Amino acid sequence: MVLAVFVVRALSPAFVDEQLSDFQLPDRVQDTLTLAISVIIESVPFVLLGILLSAVVQVWLPHGVLARHLPRNPILRRASISLLGMFFPVCECGNVPLARGFMVGGFTVSESITFLLAAPILNPITIITTHQAFGWDGHILVARLVGGFLIANVVGWLFSKHPDPQSLLTTRFAAACAVGSTSGHDHAHARESRFSQTTEIFIRETSVIMPALFIGSAVAALTQVFVPRSVLLALGSNPVWSVLAMMALAFIVAVCSNVDAFFVLSFGSTFLPGGIVAFLVFGALIDVKMLALMRTTFTSRTLLQITVVVGLMSAALGLLVNYVA
Amino acid sequence: MPPAAALRYWAERWQGVVLSLVVVVATLWLGLSGQLGLYIHPRYFVFTIAMAVIGLVLVAAGFARRRTFEVEHTGRFETTLTGVGVVLLLVMGVAMVVVPPTTLSSATATQREVNSGGLGTENDAEQAAALIGTGDFEQLSVREWVSLLAQSSDPAFYADKTAQVIGFVTPDAKDPENVFYVARFVVTCCAVDAQPIGVPVYLPNWQAEYEVDDWVQVTGRFDQSVSAAASDPLAITPVEILVVDQPNDPYVY
Repeated sequence: MVLAVFVVRALSPAFVDEQLSDFQLPDRVQDTLTLAISVIIESVPFVLLGILLSAVVQVWLPHGVLARHLPRNPILRRASISLLGMFFPVCECGNVPLARGFMVGGFTVSESITFLLAAPILNPITIITTHQAFGWDGHILVARLVGGFLIANVVGWLFSKHPDPQSLLTTRFAAACAVGSTSGHDHAHARESRFSQTTEIFIRETSVIMPALFIGSAVAALTQVFVPRSVLLALGSNPVWSVLAMMALAFIVAVCSNVDAFFVLSFGSTFLPGGIVAFLVFGALIDVKMLALMRTTFTSRTLLQITVVVGLMSAALGLLVNYVA
Repeated sequence: MPPAAALRYWAERWQGVVLSLVVVVATLWLGLSGQLGLYIHPRYFVFTIAMAVIGLVLVAAGFARRRTFEVEHTGRFETTLTGVGVVLLLVMGVAMVVVPPTTLSSATATQREVNSGGLGTENDAEQAAALIGTGDFEQLSVREWVSLLAQSSDPAFYADKTAQVIGFVTPDAKDPENVFYVARFVVTCCAVDAQPIGVPVYLPNWQAEYEVDDWVQVTGRFDQSVSAAASDPLAITPVEILVVDQPNDPYVY
């Protein structure tokens, strides 16, 4: 099978050949495909890394070891969890399988949400690239880090008040978590080698995450090709609209939090700093691709609530920077 | 196995492994043929290839693993949805392996508005100033000229400097009849964030000789644009335009 796909690739045309121009796709279709493939090729290495780390948490580390070593006070506990990204810098797409692994490994739903929202910003790569792009100019780096930390902890706190946290999850994932927590890997899979269990996790996680990534990439690509960007760029210098426009741009562009600072730097001359901060905070947590990925784990209702709260807090942060800083 | 159960079994057992296989093969093949740069920034090449090799090992292990499990019974609606999803994913997967890789076209350049972003950093300005200082103006690429034009539109500054730039042809939004851009895409992460940048060229009725998306090398000096409608105050008055092959690195990083 592996060889067969390599052979098909080798036999397919390597370049867009002038003589084959009859077979060429229309520009927009071709661009949509190019954009979707580029998101997939960019994200899959991080997704694979996330799945491997998730397997480490579930199979290779003693069951619940991470959960045991964290503070018991819920607020301090979530605050520590929001810094876990410093040790697992896998970008936001990779965080989804990792957060799923954490939940199977004993984290509560609200703790996992806190990790999922904090890790894209509070990780060494994002901090370094944001610093490279903006230095200490206009408090952008500080606003991003503090904002990301606050939003993740506030959303985590809100969901910790939920009377039935399991109902926040898709039924399929809730069932998987239930199996994980009752049997633990010590008993149910004792006969299987750890490599075999890792393969099993790979099969299970890719069957959920890869379709979501493909669909998310396709939606991101279609939006990019068919929604004119000039509409957004015209709004740059208004303190309120610049924030909302940049959040909309972040939602559409779906660029990784590790490098989005370089991308948004080029808009620095057009947009007010509050808009840039809103882009860097909101876009790192929520975008079309991330929603598709998170839908593998959380219900649509949960995602809508998360999006609204994160959106409102990012907008408030952006406005604060524009009007006060 | 009834069709609905078979579909469900495929979706749970094989879909992830097969899609991973498609991505891994496409990535490795692009890496081997030197075309990975059409999709992602070079700083990710090593990481991406390394993870693709690990991915290949996992895919092989996934195919080799013997696994039987019962699939849940699902309703007709969900079965249909799964079916549509599987077909859609297979189409995307096949397209990823079969369709030849290519750069973004000027359709995207127009949609994203040339010079609306992608530049304006201090590094670009410093680089442009350093190259201008050498006196060898042909060394300046589209990127440096765009950076200079953003800083100054005084025709006197450009009077003694001949530019020679390579890029693809894309029409000016406001005066497409008389002005086109020699454009490049600036990529910071992957093709998704590509921002078009370009220098304007004034050539009435250019469509008669050149097509949109043609790669050209334009030589000439910047002057006050004759076109009153054009987006930029200055434009190159071309002395020579050559149609050239697309460069190996079509994007600017």
